[in-house]
Amino acid sequence: MASVCIGNLVRNSAKVFRNSYITQVRTPYGLQIRCWNSTTPEPSSKPLTSVPASDTIKHEGSGNQLIKVSKAMKAYQEKAQALDALMFEKTTEYEIGRRHLANMMGEDPETFTDEDIDTAIEYLFPSGLFEPRARPLMKHPTEVFARKKVAEFDETGRPFHVLFYTGLPNYYQVLHDLSEKVRELDSFSDRMMQYNIHKDPERTLNVGGTEWVKKEQLEDILLEKLKDKQYEFFVRSMNRLLDHPFSYRVEEFIMKFRKHVQISVIHKEIPKLMFTAEGTPYMAAVGRRKTSTASVTVYGRGSGKISINGEDLLYFKYIQDREQVLFPLQFSGLLGKVDVVADVDGGGFSGQSGAIRYAISMAVRSFVDEQMMEKMRLAGLLTRDPRRHERKKPGWKGARAKYTWKKR
Amino acid sequence: MTSGYNCLVIGLARCRLGLSSNKYQLSNVFLRTYSQYPPHFVKPVYQPAQLDDILESGESKNLEFTPVRAAYVNHTSSIFHDKIVMKFTNHVMKTGRKSLARELVEKTFQEIKRIQLQKWNEAKTAEEKANTECNPLTIFHQAVENCRPVLQLIPIKRGGIRYQVPIPITDKRSYFISMRWFVHAGREKERKIHFPERLARELIAASNNEGRVVKQKQDLHRQCEANRAYAHYRWG
Repeated sequence: MASVCIGNLVRNSAKVFRNSYITQVRTPYGLQIRCWNSTTPEPSSKPLTSVPASDTIKHEGSGNQLIKVSKAMKAYQEKAQALDALMFEKTTEYEIGRRHLANMMGEDPETFTDEDIDTAIEYLFPSGLFEPRARPLMKHPTEVFARKKVAEFDETGRPFHVLFYTGLPNYYQVLHDLSEKVRELDSFSDRMMQYNIHKDPERTLNVGGTEWVKKEQLEDILLEKLKDKQYEFFVRSMNRLLDHPFSYRVEEFIMKFRKHVQISVIHKEIPKLMFTAEGTPYMAAVGRRKTSTASVTVYGRGSGKISINGEDLLYFKYIQDREQVLFPLQFSGLLGKVDVVADVDGGGFSGQSGAIRYAISMAVRSFVDEQMMEKMRLAGLLTRDPRRHERKKPGWKGARAKYTWKKR
Repeated sequence: MTSGYNCLVIGLARCRLGLSSNKYQLSNVFLRTYSQYPPHFVKPVYQPAQLDDILESGESKNLEFTPVRAAYVNHTSSIFHDKIVMKFTNHVMKTGRKSLARELVEKTFQEIKRIQLQKWNEAKTAEEKANTECNPLTIFHQAVENCRPVLQLIPIKRGGIRYQVPIPITDKRSYFISMRWFVHAGREKERKIHFPERLARELIAASNNEGRVVKQKQDLHRQCEANRAYAHYRWG
């Protein structure tokens, strides 16, 4: 009997809370608690004043019967009340401020948007501070104050969510859903195999340009503090779902936890070619590797002359270093068509040649089309090599090597 | 003691990556790594032919937003670049002197070319001439391919006795063993002939399925065959 009850409970609550990772608060007996969460943002709502801050409350349905309220519930109610009051106050202040700003800027307060507020603040309170977060700002309280979870239990102290006692109900709910999706997809693929229907290669889930949400963002979504291991497990499990051949069927679920990656600035802004007084196109760039720095100018309409610190390519003793200097030119097909003048300083041979290679690659971007640039990026020419000398460790022979050790 | 050292290493790795974390917006989850690159950086495809393959197959679409590691100092798009030769150079290298190793390998190829050209010039008939391979790179590849073992022997202790048990080996290891044999063949104890010359002769012989290295491979295979009765010691 007991097992049946639990089974029902699990099923019911799974129905209720499926796809909603933030539990709604609806305490019975007309007692409603408003809180800040993503699903019910009501910034202009009035503060809750009807909750009596006593141990007992009246039961509306059955006369004067008194119901005991648990201490946790009471504490929670008090906290929620305080927060509601605060938010109400801040929202009112914000509204007043918005109207004032609109009047100051001579615009209609009714149609004064958030962007207008930002520009107005920037105009009225100009700031020379470098850190953007240190500059004056006016934002809606919901954006400034951290979101909080709503009540997770009723006034008798019984939790709403079946996974409440895991401590991280929302996190485990996601994992629960995830495993369900995997099982669904598995059974789907089994059925397809049964009917001998092969997967349409055209229908794949394209997640290019997106990545899994970072740990902090996931915490924001779930409103729960996660440990590193838990996040790692989440990413691993999600990757497993993503790798499923029929993962396109759960695109909506997957995309909920992916966000677009920003293209790095390097690839967005390519400087335009410059011209000398004689009309020769040229482009200058600085490259670094290890401790070397190279400043390079690449001249178009050249004959392939290369000058490094006033010498030619034989500045480098080893063939490998010479190859490195020529790598971007040969790769982009500009070898023999452009002249290169390089000044390089610091470090050794390979560092210097690497710095020149990077500088030439950066300069050559202005000479070639976008397709070639993408090729150069994939060839690893447009990435600054971040590797550097690893320090020696005290008590060790080198960075990794240890002294021979004998017990006696 | 060692665990203390490990902790130190991990701590240092953390420090180092912690500094660069702003740059790559590294999540603290993946800190336990020695690499300077965050794990989502992919390896560069620097050879034009391979790059064209990727572009044609549409695989590059997936890499559009993936950051790429910088190409290494021994990577180049030159037509003289060869991955197996690059690997072989590293096996020839001692105490990090790569320029010397590269010089030796290049001299070996020179020597091969010289020997083969001499053979070609001495050849009487056109058929003989056509059969003389003059490309050192082809000879090198053929030689390495000819000397790759398919099995190896590993000692496994059963009942206090060490048995040499034959087991199949991976492609990567077979290449390594083949190249290691060549390097050892070049480094003879009695050094009357220089390394490049000896290696060149060994490579040419091996490309014709002759010579000591090929014999070494056959010996290994023979011994594996002889020890086939122990093969089941691999399991259990």
